[in-house]
Amino acid sequence: MSEIIATLKKDYIYNLMVKGKRQDGRGFKDFRDIKLETGLISKAEGSAKVTLGDTQVLVGVKLQTGTPFPDSQDEGVIITNLELNPIASPEFEPGPPREDAIEMARVVDRGIRESGAIDIKKLCITVGESVWIVFIDVHILNDDGNLIDASCLAAIAALMTTIVPNEQHGIGPNVPLAMKEIPVGVTLAKIGSKLMVDPSLDEEAVCETKLTVVSGSDGAVAGMQKMGSAPFTEAEVLEAIDMGCEKAAELRELYLEALVKRE
Amino acid sequence: MSDKPEKLITDDGLRLDGRHADEIRPMKIEIGVLSRADGSCYLEWGRNKILVGVFGPREAHPRRSQRADTAVIRYKYNMASFSVEDRARPGPSRRSIEISKVSREAFEPVIMAELFPKTAIDIFVEVLQADAGTRTAAINASSIALADAGIPMKGLVTSCAFGKVDGQIVLDLNKEEDNYGEADFPVAMTQDGEITLLQMDGNLTPEEIKKGFELVKKGCKEILEIQQAVLKKKFETPVEEPEEEVPEETAETEIEVVEAEPSLEYAPEAVAVEEVIEEAEELEEELSEETTEACAVDEEAPECEKLEELIKEAEAEVVEGEAIEEVIEAEIEEEAEEEAFEDEADFEAAFEASFEEVSEPEEIEELEPEETVSEEAEFEPEIEEFAEEEARFEEEPELEEEAGIEEESQLEEEAGIEEEPQFEEEAQLEEEAGIEEAVSEETLESEPEIESEAESSEEAPAEEEPEEESKGPWKVVKDPSESGSRGENDE
Repeated sequence: MSEIIATLKKDYIYNLMVKGKRQDGRGFKDFRDIKLETGLISKAEGSAKVTLGDTQVLVGVKLQTGTPFPDSQDEGVIITNLELNPIASPEFEPGPPREDAIEMARVVDRGIRESGAIDIKKLCITVGESVWIVFIDVHILNDDGNLIDASCLAAIAALMTTIVPNEQHGIGPNVPLAMKEIPVGVTLAKIGSKLMVDPSLDEEAVCETKLTVVSGSDGAVAGMQKMGSAPFTEAEVLEAIDMGCEKAAELRELYLEALVKRE
Repeated sequence: MSDKPEKLITDDGLRLDGRHADEIRPMKIEIGVLSRADGSCYLEWGRNKILVGVFGPREAHPRRSQRADTAVIRYKYNMASFSVEDRARPGPSRRSIEISKVSREAFEPVIMAELFPKTAIDIFVEVLQADAGTRTAAINASSIALADAGIPMKGLVTSCAFGKVDGQIVLDLNKEEDNYGEADFPVAMTQDGEITLLQMDGNLTPEEIKKGFELVKKGCKEILEIQQAVLKKKFETPVEEPEEEVPEETAETEIEVVEAEPSLEYAPEAVAVEEVIEEAEELEEELSEETTEACAVDEEAPECEKLEELIKEAEAEVVEGEAIEEVIEAEIEEEAEEEAFEDEADFEAAFEASFEEVSEPEEIEELEPEETVSEEAEFEPEIEEFAEEEARFEEEPELEEEAGIEEESQLEEEAGIEEEPQFEEEAQLEEEAGIEEAVSEETLESEPEIESEAESSEEAPAEEEPEEESKGPWKVVKDPSESGSRGENDE
């Protein structure tokens, strides 16, 4: 995402940071307004749309049966894909996914996979022969920064509302997808020496580097990824982990736990 | 795939391969293994086998990928299809694309790309055999290959992973631990501990991450020492002159330390590396003192004045062994041949000019003390024996080039040749009057040193020593503008 930004604006954002302020008046630990909608796409087994400021991300979950991997015969398969749709930004072009799209998809995937969010053992239909394959397709509809957090949130929300279509395949009644954990990703942008959550598009263009921290409800970190060309110090990383876990807990409580109760 | 072993850490706290929790796997590095690449490195780390080639700075294709203000750095991580148990599909996978991206970003803070606008620096990584931790191994190897290519960097990048196995935080996971462990946390850092790559998957509490960082810092420090030893070996070892005891000795010991297949007891080896480095430095110190004395003696003999100048000149250029005699000889006896050399010298001067910034200064500093002692000691008695040396002189340049020596040694060699003719003309005319000026007219960077040595032969070596020690072997660190002390902090 190499958005071009005026030097003037860059300086403005940087100078604001020095004063402890942000362009849109948020504090360093404040997310933009988040709106979470689920069940928008009835053809999909699960879906969710997250609006984060002006960033819009739609996630659809599809389930299909298939053969398991030889090294995990009794486990379902998770496949995550992320599409930087050309309608989302003048910077995006049609064609095969760019490396940043691949990276984001893999970070979202890692958060879900490593936190054990999905109980993949319960996705096994016949050991070694047939399992459910969960396709998580992330569509970026409008890019106004921090696609990763929006994608993580939308993906987990979509999974939490996913129904396994057993009836369709004659293997019993439909059941909700078995979930064990609710991972939430929080991205911290480093501008100057300060860390701030939920960078907007302009802030992303200004920031030198970002760190995404995906954490589970037990406060343990399930995945991390540094993105960008500048280095972090160890202290910054540890601070980012603390901030990330703290914000993740807030988001989980505000937006996702309601989904659990609804089930 | 085998089934999960019952325990990944035995009751006595050792891991399946016999390592302690804070031990890295044995690492072996070879530098300059590919003749066509500008820089290359072969690295074995445990059962990982990684080959890296660096090209550039070179023209960036396609042109729209060029950047007007800086070089583009391109990092391509590729796994050979036979590198893993089940054949990998050739070509880029999503995994390799991601690794390429984060690894490139790991090098962006240290490579001084702004020095080479509109060019590309290509780093190609081939994983020949994979056994967990390939991205960290590839980064360690790339670091060496970049240094080998003479790409200016602010320091070396070192990478190591930690993880959680059986609930315990351990350093540098092997395949079993990676497959059945609970977390993997690769980190790359600069010499001053800034983190340039950070990824993580698994399940770790913030406390465990803190603990892991301590381990990783230790691991990276050990790896940095290995990297430095390898670079030191390459850029300090004279390529010929088996009769010169001192450099050979150091070189051999280093080879042993670096290349010997290390046993499972790893830590002692790192210590050994350190010791060898220290020894080498001490040796150099002693030698440079001797040099000083020798110089002083020379200066007193008036009829040797001219020769002495030549010696110093040769020193500055780090001409090996007989090179000094060559110079003298050439001047005294071989005017006819010089013409031929002059042509060569022009070409080489141009060639050299492109490398001067990058490679000259350290070479001079590092090689000088060792070389000069034997030369000068031998020199006076041997003045009359030129006839013998002549033969060697003529052979040498060819020999060395054939031997596939690094650019540096070629350059040095050529530098010697280059200056001969110029020097001869001027020196013979101005022998007494203006030798120093004549020398300074020559454009080599080594000039200041020559003069300073001539004027105050005691000071010059004294000044050089500390630089040599602190800046160490990785020439890239100290070369260009920012140079300097970054390398020191970490140690």
